Amino acid sequence: MTKSTISRRGLLKSTGAAAGLATVFGPWQHNRVYAAATDKPIKIGITSDASGQYANSGASDRRGMAMAIAEFNERGGVLGRNVETIHLDTETTPATGSRVAERLISREECAFLIGAVSSGVANAISQVAQKYGTVYLNTNSSSPTESGKNCHRVKFVWDGNGANFAKAAVKNTIDAVGKKWLLLTNDYVWGHNTAAATRKLVEAFGGEIIDEILVPQGTRDFSSALLSIQQAKPQVVAAAVGGDDQKALRQQVAQLGMGDSPAWINNQQDWPDVYGLPLDNLFGVFGTTWYYQLDLPGVAEFVQRYQAMYPETRMKVPGNVFYNGYMATRELLSAVERAGTTNNIAVIKQLEGLRMSAADRMQHHDAWIDPNTHQVQQSIYLATANTGSSDSDDMFKILSSSDPESVKDEGAAAACNLESYADTPTYEM
Amino acid sequence: MISLADVPRGRASSWITPQMLAFAAIMGTAPFWLGPVGLYQYLGVEVVIWIIYAVGFNLLFGYSGLHSFGHGAYFGVGAYAFGLFQHNVVVSLWGGLGAAILASALAGLIVGAIVCHRRGIYFALMTIAFGQIFWFSSIKLHGLTGGEDGLLNIPRPPADFGLVSFDLSSNTAFYWFVFAALMLVIVMMWRITNSPFGRILQAIRQNEMRARFVGYEVWRFKLAAFVLSTAISGFAGGLFAMAQQGAFPDVMSLHQSALIVMMTLIGGGLVSFWGPVLGVALYFVARDVLGAMTETWLLWYGLMFVVMVMIRPEGLAGAIHLAVKRLRPASNSAPQGAAEE
Amino acid sequence: MVDLIPHIFNGLTLGLLFALIALGFMLIVGVMEMINLAHGSLFALGAYFALSIIAPDWAADTALGQWWLGLPIAARYAVALVVGPILAGVVGMGLELCLRPTYDKAPLYGLLLTFGAALVLEEAIRIFWGSAEQNLPLPQAISGAVLLGGLIFSKYKLFAAAFAFAAVIGVWLFLERTPYGAIIKAGAHDSEMVRALGFNLDRLRMLVFGLGAGLAGLAGVVMVPIWGLRPHVGVDVVIPAFLIIVLGGVGSFWGAVLSSLMVGLTIGITGAYASAWSLMSMYIMLIVVVGLRARGLFGRKSVLEN
Repeated sequence: MTKSTISRRGLLKSTGAAAGLATVFGPWQHNRVYAAATDKPIKIGITSDASGQYANSGASDRRGMAMAIAEFNERGGVLGRNVETIHLDTETTPATGSRVAERLISREECAFLIGAVSSGVANAISQVAQKYGTVYLNTNSSSPTESGKNCHRVKFVWDGNGANFAKAAVKNTIDAVGKKWLLLTNDYVWGHNTAAATRKLVEAFGGEIIDEILVPQGTRDFSSALLSIQQAKPQVVAAAVGGDDQKALRQQVAQLGMGDSPAWINNQQDWPDVYGLPLDNLFGVFGTTWYYQLDLPGVAEFVQRYQAMYPETRMKVPGNVFYNGYMATRELLSAVERAGTTNNIAVIKQLEGLRMSAADRMQHHDAWIDPNTHQVQQSIYLATANTGSSDSDDMFKILSSSDPESVKDEGAAAACNLESYADTPTYEM
Repeated sequence: MISLADVPRGRASSWITPQMLAFAAIMGTAPFWLGPVGLYQYLGVEVVIWIIYAVGFNLLFGYSGLHSFGHGAYFGVGAYAFGLFQHNVVVSLWGGLGAAILASALAGLIVGAIVCHRRGIYFALMTIAFGQIFWFSSIKLHGLTGGEDGLLNIPRPPADFGLVSFDLSSNTAFYWFVFAALMLVIVMMWRITNSPFGRILQAIRQNEMRARFVGYEVWRFKLAAFVLSTAISGFAGGLFAMAQQGAFPDVMSLHQSALIVMMTLIGGGLVSFWGPVLGVALYFVARDVLGAMTETWLLWYGLMFVVMVMIRPEGLAGAIHLAVKRLRPASNSAPQGAAEE
Repeated sequence: MVDLIPHIFNGLTLGLLFALIALGFMLIVGVMEMINLAHGSLFALGAYFALSIIAPDWAADTALGQWWLGLPIAARYAVALVVGPILAGVVGMGLELCLRPTYDKAPLYGLLLTFGAALVLEEAIRIFWGSAEQNLPLPQAISGAVLLGGLIFSKYKLFAAAFAFAAVIGVWLFLERTPYGAIIKAGAHDSEMVRALGFNLDRLRMLVFGLGAGLAGLAGVVMVPIWGLRPHVGVDVVIPAFLIIVLGGVGSFWGAVLSSLMVGLTIGITGAYASAWSLMSMYIMLIVVVGLRARGLFGRKSVLEN
């Protein structure tokens, strides 16, 4: 292990002191510093929440990443180098996300950043990442703006978003249930974007939105909304309610026994949020990107690897959050190997347009990374509560799987403006 | 326990004190020692900005005795105002900062006009209520503010002084800019708190009725302190929008507003001008260092806070003052070296 | 106005639940003239204690545990409804011990200390019980739905509202009609005299705080089947409680009850007609009322004004 390698920090120090004026007067350096030794570990910064609203999902996300990294390290690392991680809690707070990203990049010299659940935090991190050119994987934020208005050249989005799930659900539900729809929308950006996508689809397929009830973020009591729904008598209710509000909604709909009538369309249900809850909390039809009981080759072994690595954890089987964290990390490290370097632009080019086979993904359809929006186009599953099973872990009954092309978020490409390669600083760690 | 009146201000009439020079020396050279001690430039930037915020906050909290638990709203208003100015009017550093100061002062004027008639618990609760209204509005009016996604892509315009222009894109360059702003605010606040105006505020804090009987229009002074405090907090918010290059609703939440209260108290804002400075530095450094070691750092910080309130509510600055006093038992009340002026 | 009646009924139900939430907070503010910002964490703690009583993790391994889990859920729930709040009350008494150094200082310090305690308690909950959303099992008799006037209402919510009503009356009777209540009230108004009469003021304060904390815990056990059970759930309690007390007036029992009903009705009715503003409406109402009447509806002069 040589000590004479020039590190990113080392160069900053010398430019700081010797060329101090240059850093004050001159522009930020585009081409930064270069690791030479190939026996230096590759450091990955993990930016997931360990406190606040998404602490539970953040933990699951992290476990997925850790399992992927452990698998690579067992095989001798990436490009012969060991992969190390540093995790800092982003506290579900964007200002903390910015600080964490700055620290991981400038002080800890991480080559890549992985992890997100909250879109606000993901945006804060990706702005910092774009500034330095650090590749950032948004593993679990399902906001449509992540691959639309707020896309970045360095950011890749691994989750399905509200528009994808709406597209998967709407047509089937109009055909199966009826045309009179009511929207129950959480009054914030994610809720509005998801509801807007649903509205457009319903109207395109001949349905009618009879009313939209807005509930403020932070609502714990849905009784007024549920009474209004009963009074309005829709055939279908499309709920775009997230976070802690969704947890309260679940409890209250279950108590009222309103889960069956009217028909409910929920958006994506994250496995860490529902695991262990009574089945009547899982009402209506909802979406997911993966399920541990999918009848596909490789799934059972994957679940066993999870259980072997995490025997003590509360969740006995993994879900979509773990899966997204794992897949994102695995594909990133594979891309680095294929590129033969950690140079960020080379890795980005490997990921753009990447095709991943269904077998590889343990999903029903092939997936690919859209080069224009950097979102993974993947199979979208619709599910409902699995009332017939005696296994308390087997909570979902998969109803259908949609191929990525049919559920594509049409608005994203138009809204997304990726920075050019030239405008993205390059580095190699 | 001791209060602001007890801690002597030996050099009260001067513009620059030895403590200020020492402070300037430490903070001014930060880019050179931050790295070697294991910290990083962005942290320095954030600490400086929050010191500005806390010093402005303490004018209201410590000096005027008005306990505002919703001050995050003005920090946030300043950040959003800066960003919206860059997006919708013109990309300009001075314009943006001016907008931040004006917007937060205006918000302070409106809220202050309502709350400054009250005292104690009613004052605190009304500030919380308004803080919640601002927070709620920033999420709801997402067409304007970007909602929980945040107001993004806020540029860092260069500092253009006419003859010479400094590019602020690097954290180091930006640090020197906010450091200059910090020293300006420190000197200005030092003058204000040691002026007749500042002394009247302290009199109001100690006994509002007596101040009124002596002939002061108490409500006007409280309002002036409120607006000044919100303007400074908004200025800090504008700087923060540049640091983060975004503005998010979270800073207006009750949790974040309570954090500034905690930082100011722990540092000793109730007894010393420099209290807020110590409190902010302690919080950020502790958080960064402890946060890397454990995920339950908030538990330890909360425990430390509880213990401090129990045994030393005068905070760090108060503890230093008492320790210094004990070390110099024979000195009179004109301290030269008291570290907490 | 036929459409409005279910919403009014719903609003009143909500108001009763708010009264239960505010009860413990109000006791401590009214009697000890102290603002307890840890109220929300004690609320959550009561609920988590109840969870551990009804369905303890260690139970499956021991014989005692097996017997316990074999009992009908109604029995376990009843025990949890009593013991959970008692445990929260004990924690509250511990908190009161920490507050003692702050009594001779401005109320600000007590308030800040309880804020710190709230952070500590929430983190402790996260450490012991984990961050995941959990579920409090309920007896069959109070679960499910009931039809009223053609609309579905939650049986549990009606039970909770009735329970809240009983709790409010119970606390009032305790304060007004029992000798203990008289001592507690006297201790608030004239602690010197109470001490002179031979009562231990320290112990009295501790019991009052414990009672307030216990009521917070009780509210927690009752509310989490509606709100969900997670470490963060207490955060949603403190602001409404604070708001209700100030709206009704510090020191006024029935002021707090009345303002709870007002807040419940406001949220219930705006929820029907202007749902996006349902949460903001309570802040706006507060600002209007306190703007017009500085001390709230029935407030008396209090030390907290300084």
